[in-house]
Amino acid sequence: MELRYAFYTGCSAKGVAPELYDSTFLVAEKLGMELIELEAATCCGAGAVQEKDEFLAHTINARNLALAEELGLDLLTICNTCTVMLRDTKFKLDNDPELKAAVNEVLAEAGLEYKGTSEVTHFLWEVIDGVGLDKLKEMVVRPLKDFNIASFYGCHIIRPPYLIGYEDPDNPKSLEMLIEALGGKPVDHEARLACCGFHSFWSAEDKVTLKLTAMDTEAAKEENADFMVTPCPLCHTQLDAMQPEAEEKIGTSIDMPVLHLPQMIGLAIGLKPKELGLHKHVIPTTEIIKRVA
Amino acid sequence: MEFFTLRVFRYDPTKDTEPYHQDYKLPVEKGMTVLAALFKAKEELDPTISFRYNCRAAICGSCAMRINGHATLACKEQITHLLEKYETDTITVDPIGNVKPLKDLIYDMDWLVDKLKKVKPWFIPKAPPPPDGKEYRQSPEDHAKIDYASDCILCASCMSDCNALKANEDFLGPMVHSKAYRFAADTRDGAKKERLDAVLEDLNLEWCVRCWECTTRCPKEVQPYENIIRLRIMADQEGYKTPGAIHAEIFEEDIKERGLLNEMLLPLKQEGLFGMIKRAPFGIRMFFKGKVNIADFFGGHKIKRLEEVQTIYEKAKEKEKEVTIKIPQILGVVYEDKRKSKLLKEQRENAQKEGGNQ
Ligand code: SF4
Ligand code: SF4
Ligand code: FES
Repeated sequence: MELRYAFYTGCSAKGVAPELYDSTFLVAEKLGMELIELEAATCCGAGAVQEKDEFLAHTINARNLALAEELGLDLLTICNTCTVMLRDTKFKLDNDPELKAAVNEVLAEAGLEYKGTSEVTHFLWEVIDGVGLDKLKEMVVRPLKDFNIASFYGCHIIRPPYLIGYEDPDNPKSLEMLIEALGGKPVDHEARLACCGFHSFWSAEDKVTLKLTAMDTEAAKEENADFMVTPCPLCHTQLDAMQPEAEEKIGTSIDMPVLHLPQMIGLAIGLKPKELGLHKHVIPTTEIIKRVA
Repeated sequence: MEFFTLRVFRYDPTKDTEPYHQDYKLPVEKGMTVLAALFKAKEELDPTISFRYNCRAAICGSCAMRINGHATLACKEQITHLLEKYETDTITVDPIGNVKPLKDLIYDMDWLVDKLKKVKPWFIPKAPPPPDGKEYRQSPEDHAKIDYASDCILCASCMSDCNALKANEDFLGPMVHSKAYRFAADTRDGAKKERLDAVLEDLNLEWCVRCWECTTRCPKEVQPYENIIRLRIMADQEGYKTPGAIHAEIFEEDIKERGLLNEMLLPLKQEGLFGMIKRAPFGIRMFFKGKVNIADFFGGHKIKRLEEVQTIYEKAKEKEKEVTIKIPQILGVVYEDKRKSKLLKEQRENAQKEGGNQ
């Protein structure tokens, strides 16, 4: 199967998570995935635009989807929220001909059309279904066997099923299967399917967001995880970069490193921690780097 | 005969200092629901198990509980499906989450009722009844906006698994915000402003973290998160300048001016100079970790073909006024991805085959 994708970076990988952008390209290349970056794509609205100007949000996302359609490729994301927002637009447009026509009327002004021919998929799913775990296993040169790894799915890669549907949101397994394929030990913990709190940061930082961040990272710590891994850069920003604020909030140190999904794969298939940007995390990954050396 | 374990949350405050789980071994019967299993355990093994129920047909909302960790109606879920779904021989039932257990699976409902009262979950007419003596009427289009929201059976499954509520018990929660929307969006109701004031007290409506648990759990297609989106849109249209509305404006501005969000300037735009100072430790930390692109402070990177976005932006803002976006039908819908999960599907099929061979 040809593994070519229209690559939708999202804002974070181009902003606060440059290590995600870099590690995605490095890992994709090693795995034989070709990523053609959609350099004309915009932000997905992240739920914020959707909650103010919903029609505008669907129109810009229809344009994002149309860019992938121009290339005749499926659109691949590296962010949970991008995935759910793009799919929300796709779902609503594909099921509502009037809305689709209205959106296309606007797009036509810029010479574009949304057809609905490209699928929206996530890097995690393509590693499992496109590359395949058997092939991945063969490529592992540095099994993660010394590591207890706590998966953190992040809401928008499992919920809601009418937009995601890749696996059962009540009992997902993809991350654990991947961790096992890389030789690591998945650890079960309370916050595996919980929310990082990111999306209410500006309205409820103290009341909600940081409390969730603290609960999540502490849950992983309680089960003696060496690190957490997440397929979403928003979860990553929240759990890693905001962990000091969360620690302050609860008054204890947590100190739980959080890896981006491609970084974890990269370590196992022999890429160097430095090129994967492990030094760019707020919670130090020194212990991990030492143990894979 | 095949058996399974029904693991039940037990707690009697007159005797127990701590809640505990008690196991009951029951035969697997085709078509048996969790509620039926609880009845069987109660009738044949232990008459002291307490739980709430009424209709046994997913109508009354009395029997919500957490089954293997997720809230749902006990009278709706079948044992055989659950055993397969969780690949297990044990079904664990707990009271719904985010509530105070009173005895076994029965929890304190006063707390929920008190929350509901805050949004006045009843019709407050805008005008006197029509002179022809008939009922208050509305068009099918207007009714469609509240159709799903009206179907709520107050089972509180959504409240159980809500992440914002887990973090803070003062969050009104998806059931309550949905109820507020159901009336605020009703064209016959006259208390829209009052309702918006109630849900926005202390910005409560904006505590929701968009985790979509509520919509995922709801047995009735109420789609609480969709209702929250609409309530937020309504507040924006009514002129409430909340942090959420400001946030959305910044997003729109950035999309129009550069295509992507400028995360570096976000605190400044969101909270002004004060915000920039408050966030300084975070910014400095990010800078020293090599996560900050200095160019972003001066506007930064722009996407290609930005002019397309600008054309679309203006036009979409105009068109928006004439378009109503329908709340989709989602009950039982699982997104059909043409690349859908081959591997997981194979696994499931194999598991079923093995199950069948036994
Ligand atoms: S989407 Fe909002 S209201 Fe719904 S469960 Fe999540 S936090 Fe609660
Ligand atoms: S919104 Fe759905 S889950 Fe929540 S109380 Fe109503 S029926 Fe139950
Ligand atoms: S008993 Fe009425 S909903 Fe289950």
